[in-house]
Amino acid sequence: MTERIIQELIDSFGKLLMAGLKVTLPLTAAAFSTGILIALFVALMQIAKVPVMRKLVRVYVWIIRCTPMIVQLFVVYFGLPNIGIKFTPFVSAWIVLSLSIGAYCSETVRAAIESVPVGQLEASYCDGLTFWQAMVHVIIPQALRTAFPPLSNSLIGLVKDTSLAYNVALVEILATAQRIASRTYDYFWLYLEAGLIYLIFCSILTVVQRKAEAALERRR
Amino acid sequence: MLELRNVCKKFGKTVVLDNVSIKVNDGDVIAILGPSGSGKTTLLRCASYLTRADSGTLVIDGEEHDMNRISGKELRRYRNRVGFVFQNFNLYGNKTALGNVTLGLTVAQKMKKEEAEEIGRKLLAKVGLSDREDYYPSKLSGGQQQRVAIARALASNPEVVFFDEPTSALDPELTGEVLNVMRQLAEEGMTMIVVTHEMEFARSVANRVVFMEGSVIVEENTAEEFFNNPKEARTREFVQRSLSWRGADDASDGTSDGTVADNAPAGIEEKP
Ligand SMILES: Nc1ncnc2c1ncn2[C@@H]1O[C@H](COP(=O)(O)OP(=O)(O)OP(=O)(O)O)[C@@H](O)[C@H]1O
Ligand SMILES: [Mg+2]
Repeated sequence: MTERIIQELIDSFGKLLMAGLKVTLPLTAAAFSTGILIALFVALMQIAKVPVMRKLVRVYVWIIRCTPMIVQLFVVYFGLPNIGIKFTPFVSAWIVLSLSIGAYCSETVRAAIESVPVGQLEASYCDGLTFWQAMVHVIIPQALRTAFPPLSNSLIGLVKDTSLAYNVALVEILATAQRIASRTYDYFWLYLEAGLIYLIFCSILTVVQRKAEAALERRR
Repeated sequence: MLELRNVCKKFGKTVVLDNVSIKVNDGDVIAILGPSGSGKTTLLRCASYLTRADSGTLVIDGEEHDMNRISGKELRRYRNRVGFVFQNFNLYGNKTALGNVTLGLTVAQKMKKEEAEEIGRKLLAKVGLSDREDYYPSKLSGGQQQRVAIARALASNPEVVFFDEPTSALDPELTGEVLNVMRQLAEEGMTMIVVTHEMEFARSVANRVVFMEGSVIVEENTAEEFFNNPKEARTREFVQRSLSWRGADDASDGTSDGTVADNAPAGIEEKP
């Protein structure tokens, strides 16, 4: 490794980090929060046995799970403009990643909701609560606690999946590394550096996850 | 004040309640006794609409309700007028003791938090748990959990409280503290329907006893008559058998109560 490469890596580190902070993290946060809401919605439609909707959400989960994410991304970003719907690269990635999190986490959320003893739902009824009030105040808070470890894993997976958005010209970590390397031809070092940035982000999340789990454990 | 008329319930082909009727007067403490599987739990659950009866009429203060169909609004109004204490407590795991007592008030009745907490604190004091209001259920003993559950059932100031074997899930040494709270409630004139295997509690606290077997009421009597001079042969047999269990068996039948230490085996005396 020459001095020139070391200097180049130091210069690019800041750029990759900024791409991570300005693009990858916001995309992760947006897609994860939307995705969890979708997952909750899907789970509740099935648990409350809402007619029609419970069937529709199953079709949604089926389609998302059985098609590659990159195909979905191409359909949204390159395909939809054909029928007059245009999204920016960021929004396209946001939509596809949220739908993916929603589908994959819906089973986790449903199992977690069903793991809360049904007696607590009955007790809520006896307290005069409606089904939805019981869900919001009693059942879902406990379910999310149970689902916290698997959901954190999905979050960490999502950080890495944002790199798919490279394919729709979103200038995130990987695309930034690619651009620099295409000028200097140091692909090896820059892609390693891009990997390092993901490694740092995901390690921080892992530590936060462990701390949060311990804190949740103390509160029950 | 509360009357159940001709309650019928089948699970599949099994008849669990066959035209069961009960009339409850103000201040009554009714013990429902009977062997396992006779439909006692199902009766209480139907009376609080946790299980939908196939047919039957419920009358509360002259208001009639179909036990098979009721609108959500009427149901919630009715549920504020009755309380339910479960065999396995069913406390909300994400709420403190105080939060458990106040949830129905703040969420269902839209009461202000401070007002609800004032009521909650009074009720926790009543069941002897003032020093535990910030504890989560997992940090409370079974007896303490059940006392919180009783406080919760009382929060909406109900006219009648249903208890389904409130001490059956407890270690024998913890049943006394729960029974004492119930005894105190009875003395204050609370109307209560208690499914129980605690013969001594039924004898000393209840004014009436309903004996169920095979999905029907076999005998309904005053507590005194029921234990001393039962009408039905079947009842006599049941009373004799359950009283002799108490003397002979060990703690496993869970009938320790503390008030009758004379013939209770030494191991199951109440340790409050
Ligand atoms: N959800 C259900 N589905 C099917 N059968 C049920 C259900 N709940 C109760 N049963 C049946 O109904 C009958 C009466 O049950 P119930 O729980 O009311 O009896 P119990 O008198 O409370 O008995 P125990 O003293 O054991 O609590 C039993 O034969 C039981 O198997
Ligand atoms: Mg029962």
